[in-house]
Amino acid sequence: MNVCSVVVYTKPENSGVVTTKLEEFSGVEVHGGHEEGKLVVTVEGGDDDKLADTMTAFNDVDGVINTVMIYHYCGDENVNEEVTK
Amino acid sequence: MKLNRRDFIKNNAVAAAAAAAGVTIPAVTVAGDDGIRWDKIACRFCGTGCSVLLGVKDGKAVASQGDPDAPVNRGLNCIKGYFLPKIMYGKDRLTQPMLRKKNGQYDKNGKFEPVSWDEAFKIMAEKWVAARKKGPKGVGMFGSGQWTVWEGYAAQKLLKAGFRSNSLEPNARHCMASAVGAFMRAFGIDEPMGVYDDLEHADVFVLWGANMAEMHPILWSRLTDTRLTKPGCEVHVLSTFKHRCYELSDNSIIFEPQTDLAIANYIANYIIQNKAYNKDFIDKAVQFTKTPTDIGYGLRAEDPREKAAKNRNKGKLSKISFEDYAKSVAPYTLEKASKMSGVPKAALLKLAKVYADPKKKVASYWTMGMNQHTRGVWMNGLVYNIHLLMGKISEPGNSPFSLTGQPSACGTAREVGTFTHRLPADLVTKKDAHCKFAEKMWKLPAGTIPRANGMMDKKPQTDISGKMGKTLIHAVAMHRALKDGKMNCFWVMCNNNMQAAANLNVESYPGWRRAENFVTVSDPYPTVSAMAADLILPTAMWCEKEGAYGNAERRTQFWRQQTSPPGESKSDMWQVMEFAKYVKVDDVWDADLIAKMPEYKGKTLYEVLYANGQIDKFPKQEITDGAGNKYANDEMEDFGYYVQKGLFEEYRMFNSAEGIPKKGHEMADFDAYHKVRGMRWPVINGKETLWRYRGGYDPHVQGGKDVVKFYGKPNGRANIITAPFEPAAEVPDKEYDLWLCTGRVLEHWHSGTMTRRVPELYRAVPDAVVYMHKKDAKKRKLRQGQMAKLVTRRGELVARVETRGRNRCPEGLIFIPWFDANRLVNKLTLDQTDPLSKETDYKKCAVKVTKA
Repeated sequence: MNVCSVVVYTKPENSGVVTTKLEEFSGVEVHGGHEEGKLVVTVEGGDDDKLADTMTAFNDVDGVINTVMIYHYCGDENVNEEVTK
Repeated sequence: MKLNRRDFIKNNAVAAAAAAAGVTIPAVTVAGDDGIRWDKIACRFCGTGCSVLLGVKDGKAVASQGDPDAPVNRGLNCIKGYFLPKIMYGKDRLTQPMLRKKNGQYDKNGKFEPVSWDEAFKIMAEKWVAARKKGPKGVGMFGSGQWTVWEGYAAQKLLKAGFRSNSLEPNARHCMASAVGAFMRAFGIDEPMGVYDDLEHADVFVLWGANMAEMHPILWSRLTDTRLTKPGCEVHVLSTFKHRCYELSDNSIIFEPQTDLAIANYIANYIIQNKAYNKDFIDKAVQFTKTPTDIGYGLRAEDPREKAAKNRNKGKLSKISFEDYAKSVAPYTLEKASKMSGVPKAALLKLAKVYADPKKKVASYWTMGMNQHTRGVWMNGLVYNIHLLMGKISEPGNSPFSLTGQPSACGTAREVGTFTHRLPADLVTKKDAHCKFAEKMWKLPAGTIPRANGMMDKKPQTDISGKMGKTLIHAVAMHRALKDGKMNCFWVMCNNNMQAAANLNVESYPGWRRAENFVTVSDPYPTVSAMAADLILPTAMWCEKEGAYGNAERRTQFWRQQTSPPGESKSDMWQVMEFAKYVKVDDVWDADLIAKMPEYKGKTLYEVLYANGQIDKFPKQEITDGAGNKYANDEMEDFGYYVQKGLFEEYRMFNSAEGIPKKGHEMADFDAYHKVRGMRWPVINGKETLWRYRGGYDPHVQGGKDVVKFYGKPNGRANIITAPFEPAAEVPDKEYDLWLCTGRVLEHWHSGTMTRRVPELYRAVPDAVVYMHKKDAKKRKLRQGQMAKLVTRRGELVARVETRGRNRCPEGLIFIPWFDANRLVNKLTLDQTDPLSKETDYKKCAVKVTKA
């Protein structure tokens, strides 16, 4: 499975609209950063190709100034296994 | 609280992004151990030198994130760096040596068969020893700005001291040799005076032939932040076509190829005409010179363009007065510059004014647009002229800055000096005293290293071939020498030169496949180069070995070995040193030289070069990080001592020992670098240097911030070097009616060996397309998405037409990237070089386009 996080830059006044549009993509979740205009976004998916398409598509969303990649995980073990925190 | 692994990983991802963005997300906390070992490592790709954290689990790299503690990238990552854990795991990774064979024997026309390392090195040693007997140019090695520091250093010793050959070049020759040439001519010491901190200090940014948005995305992020947050900040972008940087541009300049020479001279003229120059600075720190003109294009000597050149390859500077200089730039008026370049006068004036305004701090950035230029050394110099006239240099925000394309073009190719004419720490083979110093450091007899002219103490050097003769040979000349049968053995390491070198059909391929030539390629993947070789050696990549890179701001960064290479793959350093065991001193040195140190008779090159009491003096030890995690070091296991440390500490004598010939490159000791996110040299008493040549910042300069001393030059003055506009080597004409410009894209790195094996990156940009103007397409009855045939005097290829997209070409010019192994762009390009730097101009030749 793949889990990625990215920071999406937008003008703070557009944060809400951009968040809605980003979350229309499957596997995408916006976690915060609205006030700063730096949206913290995760993208999840099993399939490499879909993930790449999703992130490429971010730049075409109106109001997105820039997308910066932060974290990437691509292990192939069982992801539903419980881990203790 | 229980979480499943997916949530756990996601929490980590969110926390990392929030930290990098500087935002707080209260619901997310990260704790505990997910079984991943994290450690810092310098990115494998461009010259920016980002630090990433690499996550390893069960011996496999599974995760990465931008290193939040790294001063370069501050937790950010570009798309290539983001997918770093995947570059090692392409399905076609090479795992054992492969030799062309027929009936059990090596055969130039045989098929690749797996062989042992022992068999590989035996046949290689046999070929190399025979070829070296013909002369110092009989053998050659083509290395890399992606070599780690110690790999480059080990190769430097093998070629220059072991084989006594100056036929050692890095692919950096194709990349920043022009920048080096200009640094040496203007300042007498290589690499920028400024640092990345200028990205926050400058008021104005000028891009001269650099597409930072795609090639240096993290630096571009920092620049963007400054532009968006600092009042009055401006960005000026110059290029021959419109690219992504123009989205942020306040002054968009598209110029006719080659006329950057005229634009830069116009700016200097504007500064002089308006008496805006900094007289005080000029009086104290600058002198004026001129360079010979009409110097040719680095083509073969019999080319008519070379025969016509009055001062072919000449570059000796002569002193002139300020008045002479002013007169030399006077013809470059606003009218003339605008007419030549096709740029509106208002745009040129706006650019000139920011340079001429003493209150504005200006940072100039450039990469391949200016370096891959038949007048690249001149052009780099013309930009320094502007900064020097204004005194806008060597202080925060005022910074002419040459960006680099490879992770260790600076750290290895330039600082270790793996060029034909160089030795470590800016020493050169044309100086007898420098060679003698190196021989002393290396415990070798005086006269071992070939001098550029083959003369020591004004007497010819002895050689096993009977005559040393002239010994320098640059990258492009190596391919010509292979084609002509003058060089018979060639070892290509850590690069893909069959795809990268210009004029593939006419020069590169016939040279490699010439019957008597033996070509070795060390690579992790079956590249175009590997498939054109006779022997392929499988290579350990990046995190599969302990390494060090040096980035564009003089930052040296170390990392520990994170994973193990697959199969029998071995690092380049191991390959170089192990191969040295197969060659004896007596095979390649003449009797007179051996007689100077008879104790070396009968020894192998390995014993003389590496097991020399210096490199092998650090015993095996356990490698751990601050948290107590343990790491492997395969070379330490194989050779029985801490090889990386030994090589680095011996190398360090060149820049930090007492009595060195050139000061200013000082570095810290080996162990210090493992603890930090790099340090910028000169490092004095454990402290790095940010701005060089100015008091208060640079410990080599006494006095306050008003004191500037360019100490690379004996009189402490930098050279302003006047140089005129001269036309390109191959200008479009009636038949070949368009300019062809080649380059890169964000998603792929150079020839795509690594990035094309990352599924996400491959899918993002699978094929090279040809960018052209809609009207140019229409004239040729082509439309967006159709296939076009590109033809030059040297070759042809077919590619899809793109009239929209990220690059917008003006009429008269097309652009195509070179990453795509299915479309070898260098069949089209001309092997023209800057005659001074010998760097190829990949940006300008003539092409015709038809419907495919």
